[in-house]
Amino acid sequence: MEIEVLEKDEKNMRLLIRGTNVPHVNALRRIIMTEVPCMAVDEIVMLENSSILQDEIVAHRLGLIPLKTDLDSYNLPEECPCKSEFGCNLCRVTLTLDVEAKEGTKTVYSDELKSENPEIAPVSGKIPLVKLAKEQKIRLEAYVRLGKGKNHAKWQPVSMCTYKYMPKIEISKNCDGCGKCVDICPRNVYAKTENKVEIRNLMACILCMDCVEACTQNPPPIEVSWEKDTFIFSLESSGALSPERILSEAIKILDKQLKEFESQIKVKKIEES
Amino acid sequence: MIIPVRCFTCGKLIGDVWEEFATRVKAGEKASEILNSLGIKRYCCRRMLLSHVEIIDEVLRFYEEAEKRKEARNYY
Ligand SMILES: [Zn+2]
Ligand SMILES: [Zn+2]
Repeated sequence: MEIEVLEKDEKNMRLLIRGTNVPHVNALRRIIMTEVPCMAVDEIVMLENSSILQDEIVAHRLGLIPLKTDLDSYNLPEECPCKSEFGCNLCRVTLTLDVEAKEGTKTVYSDELKSENPEIAPVSGKIPLVKLAKEQKIRLEAYVRLGKGKNHAKWQPVSMCTYKYMPKIEISKNCDGCGKCVDICPRNVYAKTENKVEIRNLMACILCMDCVEACTQNPPPIEVSWEKDTFIFSLESSGALSPERILSEAIKILDKQLKEFESQIKVKKIEES
Repeated sequence: MIIPVRCFTCGKLIGDVWEEFATRVKAGEKASEILNSLGIKRYCCRRMLLSHVEIIDEVLRFYEEAEKRKEARNYY
């Protein structure tokens, strides 16, 4: 297996993975979405809420805020040695919010959430939580826990994680260069140069086959197919973890699950013999 | 009522760009260009901002009016 980084910034990553198969990339995708833990508000204690949004709506909004996650210093609640339902300082972070609109209408933003640990804070400080009219008040305590995407989407570290086959397009010499395929392609894969059609951006192809259908010649000189062992893997983090951390964490989890599977097969074999 | 924190479909954070989007639309900029410059690519996230109406502002007006009336009563 060979991995090439096509694009990377603090939230997005695009990889070209060669020499692998669908079960493997799909396992990675599913683990990233359901098994890689990240932090989110899990429970809140509403002390005072005179805003026009109900407690439940405020709670739901708080839960959806992506939080910067520290995977090394916190445990999943079910794996924490404290074994308490309430949690200890190794598996829980407290956020507090205490705002009153003293002078006229006020929007409460996510940067007004005060965290016990400054490392665990909202990804963006500009998320509106509630709007308060004059003299309205909101006071609450929120408990942040690690969790997994399979339990609730708020614990998904990614907002997008997909893969597609590497496209393969061949244009034979019979092409008369009419340019119909250049106009119809939704992804601008082709370019026309001097009565010839050229491939400008192969990776953008989504294998829609519109170019083959639009071709006036019969049989069409364009052949669109894909490479069976090469994939373009894209990942967009919610901001909780860096994309490379998400991927390395997913690989660790896949390894652990495969080892467990292997040991269970061994147990089964011993039982049978 | 108030801008959702995340996109309903994909879960991308969109709440934090609403105010910039709304003020730039009011200033007469083209919505599609604003969305592109904010880095909102997918149509699921784009419709979150395009189709949103901040009704909470309309509701809050009742409270603002009540406040004004109270102040007026105190004045006379
Ligand atoms: Zn604990
Ligand atoms: Zn979306």
